[in-house]
Amino acid sequence: MADGKEAILSELENSVKNLQEEAAMEAARKALSAGVSPIDAIEKGLAKGIRQVGEKFERKEMFVVELIYAAEIMSNAIKILEPELRKSKEKRNVLAHVVLGTVAGDIHDIGKNLVRIMLEASGFEVRDIGKDAPIDGFISAAKEMGAEIVGASSLMTTTVSVQKEVVDALRSGGIEAPLMVGGAAVTEAWAKEIGAVYSSDAGSAVSVAKSLVGKGG
Amino acid sequence: MAFGIKRGVRFQILSESDFDRIHWGTLHILEKVGVQVDSVACRKLLKDNGCEVDESKRIAKIPSHLVEEALSKKKTSITLAARDPKYDAKLDLDHSYMTANGNGAVAVDFETGERRPSTKKDVADSSRIIDYLQNVHIHWPMVSSTDKHPSVVHLHDLDASMSNTQKHIMYETGVTLSDAKHLTEIGYIAAGGEKEFRHRPIHSCLQCTYAPLQHDAGVMDASLYFAEHGVPLVFFGMPQPGATGPVTLVGSLVVGNAEVLSALVMTQLHAPGSAVIYGMGNAPLDMRTTIRAGGSPEHAISSAIATELAHYYGMPSCVGVSATAKVPGDQAVLEYYTGCVGPLLAGADLMCGVGLLEDSSCLFYEQIVIDNEIVGSIARLIRGEWADDDTMALDIIEKVGVGKNFLAQKHTMQHLRAGEHFMPDLIDRRSFDAWSASGSKSLVDKAREKTRWILENHRVPPLDADTQKRVDAVIEKAKKPMWGGETKRD
Ligand code: B1M
Repeated sequence: MADGKEAILSELENSVKNLQEEAAMEAARKALSAGVSPIDAIEKGLAKGIRQVGEKFERKEMFVVELIYAAEIMSNAIKILEPELRKSKEKRNVLAHVVLGTVAGDIHDIGKNLVRIMLEASGFEVRDIGKDAPIDGFISAAKEMGAEIVGASSLMTTTVSVQKEVVDALRSGGIEAPLMVGGAAVTEAWAKEIGAVYSSDAGSAVSVAKSLVGKGG
Repeated sequence: MAFGIKRGVRFQILSESDFDRIHWGTLHILEKVGVQVDSVACRKLLKDNGCEVDESKRIAKIPSHLVEEALSKKKTSITLAARDPKYDAKLDLDHSYMTANGNGAVAVDFETGERRPSTKKDVADSSRIIDYLQNVHIHWPMVSSTDKHPSVVHLHDLDASMSNTQKHIMYETGVTLSDAKHLTEIGYIAAGGEKEFRHRPIHSCLQCTYAPLQHDAGVMDASLYFAEHGVPLVFFGMPQPGATGPVTLVGSLVVGNAEVLSALVMTQLHAPGSAVIYGMGNAPLDMRTTIRAGGSPEHAISSAIATELAHYYGMPSCVGVSATAKVPGDQAVLEYYTGCVGPLLAGADLMCGVGLLEDSSCLFYEQIVIDNEIVGSIARLIRGEWADDDTMALDIIEKVGVGKNFLAQKHTMQHLRAGEHFMPDLIDRRSFDAWSASGSKSLVDKAREKTRWILENHRVPPLDADTQKRVDAVIEKAKKPMWGGETKRD
């Protein structure tokens, strides 16, 4: 059994790493019937695979489409594990809970989506509240999920000021989670001015997020 | 000399049957999949005119006859007028016009080299450079006046542009109805009245559609207002092949085409006969860095085929170029040359734009001057050649005879004066000795010298005091708390 479990875990890992959707589904079903804990299947299998894809992407060895595809495979495999996952008492060991959105008035979301994918690939649980997201949306989502980090993206000089609104609303709503900001119109100096933390791309968003929750970076 | 670049060469990439297929495919998408229309006013307009509208999904399916009608109603002869009429850009499908790039948020200080948020002074100074340069025909506010109150940044951008160039100004910051009203009001003031503006629109607005197959509410509400009030529009599709459009360039063209044509339908239903230019900027997302690859061959060829499609519809095209380079120099030149030459060879009517790096984010003053040189070279490339008595020069060949040369011929002098050969300004063709004796300057060094000269010497007649006062009043009136937040800027 132990052997079988190891084999299934590495099948899960490899299928994500090698972008094999069918194999990932198959391995997830095998995991269920072999009684592998769904948490292990995710963390010691699928997530290990996606992390390697993320690292390869960071080293420019893989394309962003491949990273996105791998993330898709992983989430489809998780869907198969879901019924067991719900029954299980164990909790997924996520690095932190993150609320992420593009601020009100701004519809640029490609960068924000990439940040989400990279964060998820690195073990964060992300609640994506979309683009042109109202300030309230950040607050209510942060409360609901108990977010340790809130992330706001903004691409235009006319919408960066909304990031300040978000910080102010978080604080007056009693939420202490740090605000992470990014996007083409955002600078390090602006982030400082409003009491947020800046990252320039999806890769550094991950290290910044990790350091924010004291998980290295 | 006539304004703009007269074209005599046109490469053809797509065939007639390709156009038919793309057009048919686009109509199919519009009818079957539809587009998401976030503007309530636009959904009502479409519904009232027979489109099937799903209010909960905000999707409108557009029957093909509405597209055909819109294509037949649109304004066909568009002139982008200028404060000084010698700079009027006639979009006659026979001339190409180069524009500035626009709306970066960062500038590299010309004196200190510091990379910093852009200011109103940057908008003013870059406008003066554009005004001076011969191969840039239409102005865009190149950066944002980030030192001004966020609610009126775009109005300051227009203000600084108007008082520092006499060329036509195109902006892309009319993103809400109130923006549109203020920008239009300033245009009317600058033109001397509404009637004068409608007759000679000295400003125009570029609007982006939202790939795949969506229209932002604010952008479309503003667009209806512009169309109704005589401000020419560009609808600019921007699917990024592989990301927000199919990876194939033609597939992304179909997506962008569906967006542009559906925007055309809405404006023509609302304001029949309004001026719409066909825009498309399908630059791929670089799949390793996730930066938009604006100076890539794929963007160039996408812009070329979009131009061909625009002409198939009898519309002028507006296509783009940009660079991912971080500093002026070899990479920027390579990207700008690649990005410009493809579309211009295919007959792009408006080619936007010069002078920004880091994917249209960062202004280097000297890059404007370098790009001006690139366009000069390409202008010669697309001028075209023809065989007539004068160009064949049989009489001169006969006169000179065998074994001599043509250096001292009047024919030679006359044609050189008329621009037969491109005379570069920055490219150094001298010998090594001559070049090193004068300081071994690079192209960028020379561009900086020329930029400095322009900044020190080129003056643009300001707006008259009364006009300026009225413009200032509009800006003051438009200022409002941004999203309820206070700000330190004035
Ligand atoms: C939370 O923590 C974090 C951490 C890191 C974070 C983060 C959050 N968010 C991002 N990051 C970081 O990580 C990401 C991955 O590495 C990076 O994300 P980015 O988003 O920066 O990078 C993406 C992966 C690729 N980059 C992009 O996707 C943006 C590229 C450019 C060319 C661009 C695009 C593509 C679009 N646009 Co528009 N657009 C421009 C952009 C120019 C530019 N250089 O940014 C910009 C932002 N746009 C602009 C404008 C004006 C507009 N656009 C508009 C529309 C669009 C499209 C819809 C066509 C399209 C967006 C499609 C989409 N789904 O997002 C309109 C916006 C309407 C609105 N209400 O929002 C419109 C107003 C145009 C119009 N008149 O219609 C300009 C803003 C000008 C300014 N000074 O503010 C602009 C700079 C271009 C320009 N120079 O004119 C990092 O920044």
